[in-house]
Amino acid sequence: MPLDYPIHERRLDNGLRLVVSPDPSVPNVTVNLWVGVGSRHEEPGRTGFAHLFEHLMFQGSRNVASGEHFSALMAQGARLNATTWFDRTNYFETLPRGAMDLALWLEADRHGHLLDAVTQENLDNQRDVVKEEKRQRYDNPPYGTALIEVYAALFPEEHPYHHATIGSMEDLDAASLEDVHAFFQRYYGPDNTVLTLCGDVEVDEAVAAVERYFGDLAPIDRMPRPPGPQLPPLSEPVRVERLETVPNDRLHLAFRLPVDPTQEYLASSFAVDIVAGLSTSRVGTRLVRTEQSAHRVDAHAMGLVDGSSIALISVDVAPGENPAGVEERVGEELDRFADEGPTPEEMEAVLAQAERAWLSSLASQEERADTISHTTLLHGDPGAVNTHLDRLARVSADDVTEAARTWLRSTNRATVAFLQAEAAAA
Amino acid sequence: MSLSTRPAIGPPGPWTFPVPLASELPSGLRVLTHHLPGQYVVSVRVVVPLLVASEPRELEGIATLMSRLLDEGTLHHTPIEFAGLLERGGIGLGAGMTESALVIELDVPQRRLAQALDLLRQLLAEPAFPEAEVRRAVATRTSEIEQQRAHASHRAGLAFFEAFFDPAERASRPAGGTTETVGAVTRADLVAFHAERVGPLGATVVVAGDLTGVDATALVGDTLGRWTAPSHVPAPGPRAAVRAADAARIVVVDRPGSVQSELAVGWSGPDRHVTEPAGWAAYQVLSFVIGGSPNARIDAVLREEKGYTYGIRSAFRPRRVGGTFYTSGSVRSEVTVEALRLLLDILDGARSGYTVEEVRSGADFIGLTAPGRYATADAVAAETAGLVIDGLPSDFTTSNLAALGGLTPQVLRDAASAYLTGEWTVVVVGDAAAWLDGVRALGRGDVTVVPA
Repeated sequence: MPLDYPIHERRLDNGLRLVVSPDPSVPNVTVNLWVGVGSRHEEPGRTGFAHLFEHLMFQGSRNVASGEHFSALMAQGARLNATTWFDRTNYFETLPRGAMDLALWLEADRHGHLLDAVTQENLDNQRDVVKEEKRQRYDNPPYGTALIEVYAALFPEEHPYHHATIGSMEDLDAASLEDVHAFFQRYYGPDNTVLTLCGDVEVDEAVAAVERYFGDLAPIDRMPRPPGPQLPPLSEPVRVERLETVPNDRLHLAFRLPVDPTQEYLASSFAVDIVAGLSTSRVGTRLVRTEQSAHRVDAHAMGLVDGSSIALISVDVAPGENPAGVEERVGEELDRFADEGPTPEEMEAVLAQAERAWLSSLASQEERADTISHTTLLHGDPGAVNTHLDRLARVSADDVTEAARTWLRSTNRATVAFLQAEAAAA
Repeated sequence: MSLSTRPAIGPPGPWTFPVPLASELPSGLRVLTHHLPGQYVVSVRVVVPLLVASEPRELEGIATLMSRLLDEGTLHHTPIEFAGLLERGGIGLGAGMTESALVIELDVPQRRLAQALDLLRQLLAEPAFPEAEVRRAVATRTSEIEQQRAHASHRAGLAFFEAFFDPAERASRPAGGTTETVGAVTRADLVAFHAERVGPLGATVVVAGDLTGVDATALVGDTLGRWTAPSHVPAPGPRAAVRAADAARIVVVDRPGSVQSELAVGWSGPDRHVTEPAGWAAYQVLSFVIGGSPNARIDAVLREEKGYTYGIRSAFRPRRVGGTFYTSGSVRSEVTVEALRLLLDILDGARSGYTVEEVRSGADFIGLTAPGRYATADAVAAETAGLVIDGLPSDFTTSNLAALGGLTPQVLRDAASAYLTGEWTVVVVGDAAAWLDGVRALGRGDVTVVPA
């Protein structure tokens, strides 16, 4: 179906890329910033720093007290947060349109003048908070460190995606105030940032407001390193085993994929879904429905820009089943799919599900703004919200077969197996 | 221009929660439709009143199993055929139980709505419960029970409700059943349970989305309107679950090797029908002020001052009748005793007073975020379905928002004091050897230690 969300792009003299997408259906505006820095830019010995830095962005700036960013915006009815990922850091709030200027002012103050307010005390406090985040999400739950292991197994040590965004406790401990200053000066500037405004605002009004608050921010004249070359698939399987106290054996099979945005990436993501992501997937039908050797299989592709994307298949092995045998049969389905390619029904299903997922992701102003910032910063394509469905529809069965043959054979996998310690010892 | 001048705030635009178009089909199925321009994915909810508390004691979890098996094979389609029809139809489907209703959620692009509604009729009226799928659903639920026990936050929740509610109450046990009760469920049980408990009489379907060019009520009539259930007996009315006589105590779940301690603290609260001493809006503001943001009373100390936690959240959680006030989050193991002491002090303070600024910030946050929180078809359908489940009128959301304006510090204090007594059911999940003596020494209640 044709989509026609309005997209108006401007570039300020200081290099800030602004996209405005008016939508008066709700009396709100979403302010969404993507900064071109993520964990892929971190130096050795400073893993986790981009994310720790993101936390400091809430601890005050030249004209804003510590914690005031949250309290001032929430008091006006803003829902807000920030996230850090391999490729970027984002900051966002959705709030009543009458408070849009306040949001832009607060964002400009911290994106332009953070260092006036950073203190050792704030750094130490947020370091503790981030360490609790790591313990809560990664170190305390069963299988919590799986993704950390997956990235390390899939990419060589010098690769930007070798380490997870959360980083290591040692590196978090090593972060200093000097690091904070250097990082801000190197990466935070209008010419390394995309700002999207989506909601109940006219284009001219939006441009004027952004000029008013961001216009005086100085560019950082960063010369970004170009993305690394496309990594080839793994040429032979990599395997990591962890014996732990877990409720059941779980296998993670990961693959390198083409970078996003390319038709090859979309084709490979379709292949991942057909093999193991759909509820009618080949692995799910065989292992979960028919053999009942697994309780659950999930799969998805993550689109990334720096030399590789990632496919991840995870399988919960049923009690009493041999995990090595289950893994082998997942491999058989991958190879069979690469040899056969998809059926027409599989292509119909994967396209129908991708279409609904895309439309759902555009249903709210905040997610739509986030998508616009994403495709603008990382793909240089603010209009992708309207054209992505056409790109999905152009993926052919032959494209999917070709992608599976190149990227998703069993020999291309990195396996991280979490096995029950007592069962393995028996 | 300089950034030294903070901009002024303009007034918020007018907004009310959309009122659905209501009708009723001859079968007794109520139809509520929301036309929401620009919402290309239509969200459908079917609500069938069904009390988890009315499950047979020895088959607890049967309602959850039944909900999960509805789309695993029907009169005319094998499980894999039905899954293919849903998937090729661009449909996203979920089904599950609340404490008082079976809820089916369906999302689909508008042009595929007619087919989706007919598949919905088939899975509600004609599920086949194939023997092999029943065995698989039982095995999946059994595995899920083990998975949940292994996660500290979930384990804390199980221990909390076991200690808080009287052991005779269904609410003291897992809604999805235990390994023993789920393992006892047979195909015949499921067929009989479905025939007796699931039908259109008293049920409601909500359809929300861009319905341009679609007569949604007629479409529902042509599809779900043909849903019949001759043996169906509508669910009885709900009643409150009774608190345990010894609820005010501390349960320690020993999980050796944990690097964090999961804390859960709670007591009784109201449901959304509450009117005295204040309406539901007061409890929403209390939730926000006590534990609803990084600047709320709890995280201002435990996160932003002490750095003990990534975040601890408090909320009044309404049930169909009655409710709880529940606080949960994790702290690093070394500070367990101090964190629990501080947390209980802050929670005790919930009865003793509020500033005008706290009241205003909470009321403004809840009121002013409403347009955004209910901006999608999915969110509107979920809210309307929630009102149906709780037996609240369609204008509840809007009138509750209006009530925010009348809140004062005294109202909040009275509202909190009506339920909170300073007694707490406390659960700590973690490496007990590291802090158990200190928790006992707090003197905040009898301590029972149980294995993870």
